[in-house]
Amino acid sequence: MLIGVKKEKELADQLSQQEAMGQSYRDIVRKQFRKNRMAVWSLRLLYVLLFVSLTSDFIANEKPLYCKIEGETYFPVLRQYAVDLGLSTWEAKFFQTNWHDHKYEKVIWAPIPYSANTLDKKNTNFVSPTDDQRVPSKRFWHWLGTDQLGRDVAAGMINGTRIAMLVGVISMSIATLIGIFFGALAGYFGDDRFRITRIRLIMNVVAIIPALFYGFIARSYQLEEGTFGWQMLMGIGIALLFFIAFNLVAKYLERYPKLGQKLTLPIDIMVMRLIETVSSIPALLLVLSIVAIIEKPSIFYIMAIIGLIRWTGIARFIRAELLKIRSLEYIEAAEALGYSEWRIILRHAIPNALTPVLITIAFGIASAILLEAFLSFLGIGLPPAQITWGKLLNLARSQFSAWWLAIFPGLAIFFTVTIFNLLGEGLTDALDPRLKG
Amino acid sequence: MVQYLIKRILIFIPTLLLISLIAFGLSKMAPGDPVESMRTEVESSVLNTERVYEEKAEFLGLNKPAFYISFTSRAYPDTLYKILKKNRRATISKLVAQYGNWPQIQTYYEQIRQVELLMEHLETDTLRESLRQIRPSLRQLYLSYRHKRISSLLETIESKVETDSLIMHTSLPGAVERLKRDYLNVRAESTKHLLYIPDIKWYGWDNQYHNWLTSFLMFDFGVSYFDGRPVSSRMKDALFWTVILNLLAIFFAYLLSIPLGVLSAIWKDSIFDRSTTLLLFILYSLPSFWIATMLVVFFTTPEYGMDWFPSLGTGELPPEAPFLDRFFETATHLILPVFCLTYSALAFISRQVRGGMLNVIRQDYIRTAWAKGLGSRSVVWNHAFRNALFPIITMFASIFPAVFAGSVVIEVIFNIPGMGKLTVEAIFQRDWPVVYTVLMLSATLTMVGILLADILYALVDPRVSYSIKKR
Repeated sequence: MLIGVKKEKELADQLSQQEAMGQSYRDIVRKQFRKNRMAVWSLRLLYVLLFVSLTSDFIANEKPLYCKIEGETYFPVLRQYAVDLGLSTWEAKFFQTNWHDHKYEKVIWAPIPYSANTLDKKNTNFVSPTDDQRVPSKRFWHWLGTDQLGRDVAAGMINGTRIAMLVGVISMSIATLIGIFFGALAGYFGDDRFRITRIRLIMNVVAIIPALFYGFIARSYQLEEGTFGWQMLMGIGIALLFFIAFNLVAKYLERYPKLGQKLTLPIDIMVMRLIETVSSIPALLLVLSIVAIIEKPSIFYIMAIIGLIRWTGIARFIRAELLKIRSLEYIEAAEALGYSEWRIILRHAIPNALTPVLITIAFGIASAILLEAFLSFLGIGLPPAQITWGKLLNLARSQFSAWWLAIFPGLAIFFTVTIFNLLGEGLTDALDPRLKG
Repeated sequence: MVQYLIKRILIFIPTLLLISLIAFGLSKMAPGDPVESMRTEVESSVLNTERVYEEKAEFLGLNKPAFYISFTSRAYPDTLYKILKKNRRATISKLVAQYGNWPQIQTYYEQIRQVELLMEHLETDTLRESLRQIRPSLRQLYLSYRHKRISSLLETIESKVETDSLIMHTSLPGAVERLKRDYLNVRAESTKHLLYIPDIKWYGWDNQYHNWLTSFLMFDFGVSYFDGRPVSSRMKDALFWTVILNLLAIFFAYLLSIPLGVLSAIWKDSIFDRSTTLLLFILYSLPSFWIATMLVVFFTTPEYGMDWFPSLGTGELPPEAPFLDRFFETATHLILPVFCLTYSALAFISRQVRGGMLNVIRQDYIRTAWAKGLGSRSVVWNHAFRNALFPIITMFASIFPAVFAGSVVIEVIFNIPGMGKLTVEAIFQRDWPVVYTVLMLSATLTMVGILLADILYALVDPRVSYSIKKR
């Protein structure tokens, strides 16, 4: 059956009308989700967390939001962004005097007038929130106490929020990308639909050698001496270039019948074996041992490693969804229209498989945040200057009397994890067809 | 069934290979030199130090090539692994990566050693002070690969050698002169094109990875880099505590969670159900390292007047104390850790039990059982619970590795010398034989757990059969 372009447009119109009537799958899910009060509240709290982590510089900062010194107006928090980008520099006086000690004519402080790393020298050695704090006014009170070096715990918590959210979101984004790629490959093609010409297979296998060599091995010196991230990107770029070149050659050679013969790759089995292998790796121990050997600790390594290990759940979900979707009529219709396989996968199959994956992502973010908190609790994986919830919690172990260090960071971890778990639960209920009435 | 088992066990192989490769690769990329981390007395002379180093490297099996093959450029020699000192090997490869001329670099590097030997040879009371000023710079040369750094070091050495009146007349200035010439040679005769020719070298079966893997398969886990004790004996001590902790925790978790889960499924939507579900959900989300820290802070210290539990560890009574005393000492030390492990497993298990029961209770045969007039105890426990058992059984196998990982946290916080603490310590000390073994064993445990779950599943549920190919 051939459906013309006109028909396709009509169909699209119909579909959009359906959506307008609130009949689309997503709308049903949304409606179900809204019935779950706990889930809705956790979604709202999630927005709050996101807001805090995006604006953390304006919430906890030793620099004033706005100030007037010697007749000149400054917006120091905003200015810091410009300085970080190299667009501006600080005047000497800002280096010489602490931010809190300037003579301001007018000043508006951030809600918490400390940065996570500000050392309040008058309040060192674990000052409790209820102690007598040596602060000029209630405005500078350490509401959640300080640690041994006099760092404000509340400011540390705000900074920790940002890091926890960063870790959760970015590591799960990496995991989602990998998971969708492998899941879609396995689910859409199955064991019998991935057909590739002989020469293309050979060329792709052969290309691994020069790609590896010229991308990474021959550049090992640059990788070690230069900026690692940048050199890594260049290496990946060079490797990709080799694959593209070899594929172009393969395309040219495909015209010879012997080389152009098509083979069927059992891609589903291959991917499933890979998933089984990766998921039986003891993740916690592996992450621990990888992070412990990195010489320049950075939060991005943690994100990348979590992402590279935790994609299997998402891949499983996508695969199962695509196995279902693959046999539906609209995929058949798209095939009949002569669309290429990649277009069908990317534009028709995957978008319809994504909603259920949200469940895994929600639970995955929760566990990624937990893992990061545990790593920094052990004191590995993050540069010393970076304050996180896990680190604050660990400080409680060095000073038992500092109850505020034991309670508040843990509460923050608990709340965040609960929010994501509740979201996952809510989504599971909303997507469960048995409950759909 | 047998066929299925064999097939499943065959899948273990690539997984374990992958993990062994990852662990091995990590150990090779890790900074620090395992030979140096083994504590021994300091040797004075250059040749002696080298000899001791060689012996230690040989003892740890580090004098072999690392892997079956290497994939580098033509510029690297295939005997690079014979340079035993890890940091020198790294420096040389960085030099090669810049200039690509191995023979010249080798001459230059050998000359540094010659100068050092010569200095040792010359060392007399009169010259000692002057030589001491040169030595640090020379030692630095071993580890320098950037042109700026090397030339400034050479400059310093040369100026010191030529200005010092005592050294001036020895053979040292000549040797240093030669060293400088060798270095200039390295720069002048660079063969950078070699760096862009790929070269795959085969090292044969006698390599570090192969030796480690084969002895691992024969349950010889090697010796710890840290204290030279066999890994297996260290693990045996640690395993004892971990198994005790986890068995107790799993036992209590099942003991509590089965009635909780079953009852809340039967009385679905009652106050009991709602409150337990909420409570368990909260428990499920409570990070155990937080709870553990809180317990340690509040209940093991006199700080808050709640010093109800002994402090960390497992008790310190000597082995000759009466058994009962030792038993109670250990038991009181284990209460808090077992509690932490139990509550997190408890939440997970009873949620599963409740879910399983809910699924079963909807079935027709339960309605039939009620209709037959059977007592509620019979319906619930004989008809419903038996059929809800499957997920619980499956879980038992899969929960074991999970609890094992969980006990890493608990053991570190409560300072219990179990596997988790051993692993974390080994990772921090870069004690790779221990880390390898733990990684491999826990991966095996995970896979065996999953396999066991599948087999148990087939045993409990006659409908499940793995003999038929479609599963």
